[in-house]
Amino acid sequence: MTEAPGPVWNRVHPVTPAVKGWKVLAVLLAIAVQQVGTNIGEAQDLVGTVGWGPVAAVVAAATVVGFVYAAIAWRMTRYAVDSEAVYLHTGVLFRQQRTARLDRVQAIDVVQPLLARLFGLAELKIEVAGGADSAVRLAFLREDQAQQLRNELLARAAGVEFGTEEQPEAPVAPEREVLAVSAGRLIGSLVRSVAIVFLLLGMIAAIVVAVVSREIGAAFGLLPLVLAAGGYLWGRFAGEFNFRAAQSPDGIRLRHGLLESRSQTVPPGRVQAVRISQAWLWRRKDWWRVQINVAGYGQVEEQQTENVLLPVGDRDEALLALWLVLPELGAADPRPVLDAALAGGGGAGEDPFTTSPRAARWLDPWSWSRNGYLVTERALLVRSGRFVRQLVVVPHERTQSVALSQGPLQRRLGVATVLLHSTPGPVAPQVVHLEESVAGALLVEQAARARTARAGAGPERWMRELRAQAARATVDVEREVPQPEPVEPEVPQPEPVEPDAPQPERVEAQLGLPEVAPPVTSQPEPVEPETHQPEVPRP
Amino acid sequence: MTEPLDARPGTDAARVFDPVGVAWQPVSPRLTTVRLISAGVWLLLPFAGGVVAAVLSGLAGLWAIPAVVLAVGLWIAVVVPRQVRAWGYAERDDDLLIRKGVMFRTLVVVPYGRMQFVDVQAGPLDRWGGIARVQLHTASPGTDAAIPGLVPAEAARLRDRLAARGEAQLAGL
Repeated sequence: MTEAPGPVWNRVHPVTPAVKGWKVLAVLLAIAVQQVGTNIGEAQDLVGTVGWGPVAAVVAAATVVGFVYAAIAWRMTRYAVDSEAVYLHTGVLFRQQRTARLDRVQAIDVVQPLLARLFGLAELKIEVAGGADSAVRLAFLREDQAQQLRNELLARAAGVEFGTEEQPEAPVAPEREVLAVSAGRLIGSLVRSVAIVFLLLGMIAAIVVAVVSREIGAAFGLLPLVLAAGGYLWGRFAGEFNFRAAQSPDGIRLRHGLLESRSQTVPPGRVQAVRISQAWLWRRKDWWRVQINVAGYGQVEEQQTENVLLPVGDRDEALLALWLVLPELGAADPRPVLDAALAGGGGAGEDPFTTSPRAARWLDPWSWSRNGYLVTERALLVRSGRFVRQLVVVPHERTQSVALSQGPLQRRLGVATVLLHSTPGPVAPQVVHLEESVAGALLVEQAARARTARAGAGPERWMRELRAQAARATVDVEREVPQPEPVEPEVPQPEPVEPDAPQPERVEAQLGLPEVAPPVTSQPEPVEPETHQPEVPRP
Repeated sequence: MTEPLDARPGTDAARVFDPVGVAWQPVSPRLTTVRLISAGVWLLLPFAGGVVAAVLSGLAGLWAIPAVVLAVGLWIAVVVPRQVRAWGYAERDDDLLIRKGVMFRTLVVVPYGRMQFVDVQAGPLDRWGGIARVQLHTASPGTDAAIPGLVPAEAARLRDRLAARGEAQLAGL
């Protein structure tokens, strides 16, 4: 890496080694617990023969090694921020110099593990879309320092000018809390989960086995099941405790966590796909869970909470969460559309969705009449599932690529599946078992929609808009360049997009596909195709 | 597409995967040779092992192993040429279309602007056969956009062309 000429290099907080040094011991302890958990008798024998002395010595040595290493690592860690990028140098034996461009930032998290929290420290995690372990992690900083650096990075990424006399520091973006999940609701949602059934079954079985066999050791065979279910539930509870979502001009703010607290900021236009789902046991309460794909967060296990936009909420809250991501659904009257998207289908009443044909009942006897899609001006809505209801929303401009697939059985029944490829995450959008001609038309139209929407809006827009806001706040209105779409400074306006014309006629003429009109809820205004075509410089 | 069409009147099952107006580029027939040799090499070992075991032990039942291996080999010999024929790609103004599969068909549309990087790969057998594989990657791991069996010159041309088009339509995520 070539070092930028002027970045000021900083060290992370000197207490960092004291927080990080425990890691070695924690790993050791985890291994020990794992081993002992399965062979508790042998472990007792081992300690019985060698005594506690060697065990204590090993623990002490590991602790010392951990702290010494952490101290050296601290000395080797330096970071810097300039207007273009954030730089991080780390590593003791294997050195690493990492540069992350600010205009490629996908999300910024302030993470406080329990121990760091006690010291008033926090880790700043700057997520970029580079696959697993691509984040720039500044650990640890003072909590207020981390907050301030986050504001600075977001402001710089958004293109807000500061460092001048009237604005010496990065402006703190105002935020408005929109959603909060109470502890009672969270516990209620976990009680109505499948994991609790496994946990109870495992515990009952363990007790029965212990009573019948008159030996406590026999029950240990069921320990993994109980631990897995219990661990899952605890992970959900601890991770999603005190969940709050707020809206601010620099993105969606999510705060949650019992022991490890996490404060996430996802800038506008960084959410690639949304899933609203309802477990079977939640239906009577009409509770929903909202998850998102963000390029930086990547593929995560079920337990991790980075990709959760709302752990549990009633229908209004879930739709509010969706609104945070996609304020403009592109439907004339969104509420009936969304109600149909969440709970509609199955042959009851009028259904704006295009569902699987009746032939698909052989492949999906339960949900075929619910599985379906709806196209609005801004997004594709995919509804599926009868027992676990699910709605996936993909904004047109976030579609990576589209595919059509058909197996031998599907071919016999004349159906095909349309897949939308999104960045790694919990949401994998696909419309299953559509009628062939419908699927074929959806494929090409969706590709065209993605292209036109793409040409109209990009992540860069966020910066332009905020720059315009900043300009409006500081500069005279007369001197300002007229903006096509005026934005109020207080209310965050995430990316207004010109209506994208799907141009179905053109596409069909091009590909000669059977004519199937997409069920667009409101007709987009006719837009000249030229205005949306990206300029392609011919070499 | 040589697959029998669906018998329902008025519909044309293959049409969805073979839209008119798209000029499909086939992949090189050398891919068939390379794939068959590769499969042959892999199957030779269990086949020979099965024969040796059957001969040495004298158990008639053990002949089932080479028989099964042979059956798999014959199946591959039948399927691979059809698969290679089914593979096709088309460069359009804004996106690349790739279709493949005989039993399980897919048709992928990858917009040039969504491309993150392009791979050109050729293993030793591929190089011997004079073919290479071009793969497009988007930000989604789900994008399965690979074109095997291109002659190296075409692979290089496609790579450069894709890279140029991707750059021209470049956008973030």
